[in-house]
Amino acid sequence: MRYDSAVATTELSAYPAEGFEPRLIERFVSLRNKRVLEIGCGDGRLTFQYAPRASSVLAIDPDQPSIDEALYQQREGGASNIDFRLGSIERLTKPGAPFDVALFSWSL
Amino acid sequence: MVHALRRAGSYLRRGGTLISIRPHRTWRPSIVIVAGRSRVPVATLLNTAFEVNLSAAESALKRVVDEGSFTLAGVRAARYRIYLDRPSQIRTYLELINPPRPRFPRGGRARLEAIWNTAPRGARVEVTESLIVNGLRRP
Repeated sequence: MRYDSAVATTELSAYPAEGFEPRLIERFVSLRNKRVLEIGCGDGRLTFQYAPRASSVLAIDPDQPSIDEALYQQREGGASNIDFRLGSIERLTKPGAPFDVALFSWSL
Repeated sequence: MVHALRRAGSYLRRGGTLISIRPHRTWRPSIVIVAGRSRVPVATLLNTAFEVNLSAAESALKRVVDEGSFTLAGVRAARYRIYLDRPSQIRTYLELINPPRPRFPRGGRARLEAIWNTAPRGARVEVTESLIVNGLRRP
C-alpha cells in the first residue's frame, strides 16, 4: 500500500464507534418508527446511524459547513427520512407534529 | 441551556423522551500505551475550561427536572476507546475535538515520547474517552 492511499483510508475520529451511541440511547427509548428531533446534529455523523430505524428525523445545527456536509452525505446515499436544517432550537420554526424523541447529541 | 431544554420539551409529545449525550465531566480522557497485554499509563488529559460547560449542562438538566418540566428516566455513563498508531496522531485527534480542547498536563507529552521510544514493536496509543447519557421524560 502506498503512503498516500494509507493516509486516505485511515479515518481518525474522536467519537465512539458506529452503533455505540444508538445502543445507549435505546436503553432509554426505542427509536423504531419514532419521530426524532436532533439538536446539534453537526455533519450528521450520529443522525445517519439511527435514522434508518426512525420514521422521520428533523436534524438542526447552527453551523452552515456542517449542514452542507450532512446534505452532501445524504445525497451520496444517506437516509432520505432526514430533514437537515440550518438553525438552533431557540429559532426553530414550523417543526411539524410533536416529536417522540428530542436528542441533544454532544450539544448541550 | 435551560431555555434550550424547555424549547425542546415544548416540541415533544406528552410522554416523549429527551436524551442528552455529552462528555463525562469527571471521567477525564486518559492516554495509555498498549502492547500486547501490557498497558503503560501516560497521562490524564485536562480541560478545565470545558468542565465549566459540562457543569452548566448538568445544572440545566437538574433544573428542568426540579421545576417539573421533565422527569428523570435515568442516567448512564460509558467509556469508549480509540486507538492511534503513533503519538504524532494525537495532535490530529485533539484537533477533531471542538474547542476548548483537552491538553496534556505538564510533562505529559515528554512522558508519552519517553515511554513510546522504549515500547515494543506493534505498540499503540489508546485514548479512553467517556460520555454520559441523561434520559428525561415529558410528563
